[in-house]
Amino acid sequence: MDDLTEMLKGTLEGCVLEIIGREETYGYAITRQLNELGFADVVEGTVYTILLRLERNKLVQVEKRPSGVGPPRKFYALNDAGREELAKFWAKWQYVSSRIDTLKEGRG
Amino acid sequence: MNFWEKVTGSDLTRDWKAFEARAAALPEDYRPAWEQIKIHLLPQGDFTGRNLTPILDSVLGLLEETAAEGQGVHEVLGDDIPGFCTALAGGEGARTYRDRWREQLNRNVARKLSRLGG
Repeated sequence: MDDLTEMLKGTLEGCVLEIIGREETYGYAITRQLNELGFADVVEGTVYTILLRLERNKLVQVEKRPSGVGPPRKFYALNDAGREELAKFWAKWQYVSSRIDTLKEGRG
Repeated sequence: MNFWEKVTGSDLTRDWKAFEARAAALPEDYRPAWEQIKIHLLPQGDFTGRNLTPILDSVLGLLEETAAEGQGVHEVLGDDIPGFCTALAGGEGARTYRDRWREQLNRNVARKLSRLGG
């Protein structure tokens, strides 16, 4: 599906939090996972800026580790604040999606 | 940064030279993207541009990592390099030209409105 970027803008950060929450991971792997999910036009740069923001807001724990090829990779894991933020995200998502479904089904 | 560096900006020249050397080592198709990134980040800089050094450093880090993965620059940055740069610089807490313009605009509008209101 094309042109999802505008719609995704607010939710992508939550998706990235969810992915990091499952297991410690790095930018490239997160981007690939989103692509496989069907968000084809999400590029690594987008994920990178989200990761930067998460880091600035102190929601993740970052560790640099050497990789097989090239420079060391940054690995991300959620800290307590991150887990709290993730729970808030799903609560908000639940609210928004239930409201929109109501509207769509004409009960609103 | 010592006093001499602060006055002459010699530390900046040194940093920028190091950045350019790293950028030159990137694959061919990354080069135009790097030029674009610099163009779009410069207006986000403060007076000396010192606040941009850590940002440029981390962007080069990203480009180096992805180049090592064998990814093309389009896979990494997509079509929206200006948007990427804004997202990078945004929320940095640095007082940028943009912030100042915005403040000025807000002030001017507020003044005009209060005048209208008598």
